[in-house]
Amino acid sequence: MQAPSVLLLCHHGTGGAALAEQLAYAVAEPGQTTIVHCLVVPELWAGMQGDDWLNNASTRDSFAHYVEQLLEKDAKLELAAMAARCSGRGLACRQVVRFGDPADCAVAIAAEEKAGLVVIGPPRPKGLPGLRSRMDLERLVRGLACPLLVASGK
Amino acid sequence: MIYTKKSPALLIIGTLMLLWGWLNAGGNVDGVQAWLQKSAYSDHMKVKEKFDAEQRVAGEIAAAENKPAAVVKMPASRFDKMKDSQTQLSYIIGGTFAVLGLLILLWTPKQGSLDYYLGVAPGMAFIVGIAFAVRWGLDPVFANWGKAVKDAGILSWDFAHIFNLNYVVLGIVLGIIIVNVFNIPDWAANGVRTARFFLKTGVILLGVLYSAAELAQLGGLSVIMIGVFVLGSVGVVLFMGRRMNAGNSMTGILAAGVGVCGVSASVAAAPVVQAKAVEIAYTIGTILVWGVGCMFIFPTIGHLLNMGPVQFGAWAGTGILNSAQVAGAALAFDPNGIETLKVAEIFNITRVLFLPIIVVWLAAWYVKHEEGAERVDLKQVLFAKFPVFVLGFLGLFILSSLGLFAPAGHYQGKYFGPGEVKEDQFLKGKETRALEAELPKARNPAETLALQDLIANRKLSNREQDNTLKGVATIKDLDPLAKSAIEKASKAAWHTSKIISAFRDWIAWLFAIGLTGLGMQITVKALKQAGGKPLIIGGIVGTIKALGSLAVVLLFVREFV
Repeated sequence: MQAPSVLLLCHHGTGGAALAEQLAYAVAEPGQTTIVHCLVVPELWAGMQGDDWLNNASTRDSFAHYVEQLLEKDAKLELAAMAARCSGRGLACRQVVRFGDPADCAVAIAAEEKAGLVVIGPPRPKGLPGLRSRMDLERLVRGLACPLLVASGK
Repeated sequence: MIYTKKSPALLIIGTLMLLWGWLNAGGNVDGVQAWLQKSAYSDHMKVKEKFDAEQRVAGEIAAAENKPAAVVKMPASRFDKMKDSQTQLSYIIGGTFAVLGLLILLWTPKQGSLDYYLGVAPGMAFIVGIAFAVRWGLDPVFANWGKAVKDAGILSWDFAHIFNLNYVVLGIVLGIIIVNVFNIPDWAANGVRTARFFLKTGVILLGVLYSAAELAQLGGLSVIMIGVFVLGSVGVVLFMGRRMNAGNSMTGILAAGVGVCGVSASVAAAPVVQAKAVEIAYTIGTILVWGVGCMFIFPTIGHLLNMGPVQFGAWAGTGILNSAQVAGAALAFDPNGIETLKVAEIFNITRVLFLPIIVVWLAAWYVKHEEGAERVDLKQVLFAKFPVFVLGFLGLFILSSLGLFAPAGHYQGKYFGPGEVKEDQFLKGKETRALEAELPKARNPAETLALQDLIANRKLSNREQDNTLKGVATIKDLDPLAKSAIEKASKAAWHTSKIISAFRDWIAWLFAIGLTGLGMQITVKALKQAGGKPLIIGGIVGTIKALGSLAVVLLFVREFV
């Protein structure tokens, strides 16, 4: 398999994402491949203060600010760690952060970045803790104009 | 940032409302209205027949006396009043929306207050329009279907009544369907968030409806029940969280949510206990799942147990984790009057008054148990979390008690004494006979005594009797004539003022609109996050709280308000 010039890696710090990252390294070629790290903040966060109606505006604002800060801090940590790992392997790395549905964002970023390959991790095994925000595989496959590689969870 | 989105949506909604008002005013949709409002239409036909007969006789007398027949206007029936009310609301609200819709299309938005407020108008119109359609259309359709299915023998029970498929529940469900299946249109997104404004205004206006005695009785009861159950469940969650190694921040945010008032409390406590993102998601998901589930289950159980407004309001106000669903459940249980909502909201207000205290407690607890936790200014927390809208509620209560909206006697039950009720409002012979026949159904000596007194005097004697009989009216299989006699006697004693009736109607609308909007903020994506240790702890404590408060209410709370 020929190494792509732009490889889109969907990674948000989970166990599955780590498997995808390993697969991406196996496919990528230093000096030839640029890894585009796509980090999606899932839109479930928009509904996380949904029916809080008793609080005053200042309490709601401080909560919204607090959650935004948390998500930003987590995202920055992920991005910095990924950039360091790519750099250690001699791979060029660009990073894109989006808020929305993971599949829609991946499709959009793949098109914008003219990705030659998209790599994602396997679905999280049932019963393991974590946010329930799965990649809609059908929407992703239908939307992509390039091959998709899914890391094995086995 | 510019908030106003150029869209014809607001103009279209306003025009549709105006059109509905115009069709109603001209009697062009009487056929549809007669089908929707079957009971009101049947009353209307009776009024019309009686009026026609009287007119015929009057005409014959006038002809015999060689005089011109007097022109008399037919008295307005319930059907006419319902149509008038729809017409009026459609003209006022629809007209306002149409004008604002035109402004949005013609005006080039500039950053500022006008843009900010105009930006929310289409979303407001969206939820108001849905609330209109649900209350005037879907609610009677479901009521008719429930009755038709029962009458046809397909089911032996009225599914619309048992599952409380009234305008409140249908509005919330429709809101949930819209946000999860179709998504909220872009032009409506800002305005949908104003659901809070409608709900808070509804709570503030509720202040008008309480007498000082009611507020004292309900306030006392709610402080005891909320005190015991809030402090109790916060304590149990803190204990279980430590035992199950759930982590201090997760335990803290869960204790607030499960113990006090659901999502609102979790939102208030999260920054104080430095909750992590995933913990917030788990907790809010868990509380929403519980809240939405309880909103559907509680009213059905309340009806099955023949609970009265005070009992149900106290139970829902204590046992349902999330405060938004307390209002939903209260109105689902009792959509036509707002007696249950009155009780439940006092409990909600008490809960929210406990919130700053609980947040301070959790902050202190977190600092004590978490190494390196940042200290917070407890005074500042106490001040910042105070629910300002409660002051509005108290303000209206004071104005109302001063007699601004109705004579003071309206609240004090002045019209029970001899001479206060007019002779023509006394119960008739057939009504007292219907009550006599129902005497064996009384469930306790107090109910028997109250019924006997009503039969003897043909009117109510005091507030306690009125409250006892309100409970009697909820007895299953009570003869409809006996039930209407109780309601008639109560109505004769209370002399509900027109202003107070208008307030009741507005409050019902505000909650219907607010809860529809709130439904649009409940996403399946958020509900799906329920899980992990919060689900286990929340499930156990939530169940204990619901069952414990039910037992307390059934054992100790009587219909005394």
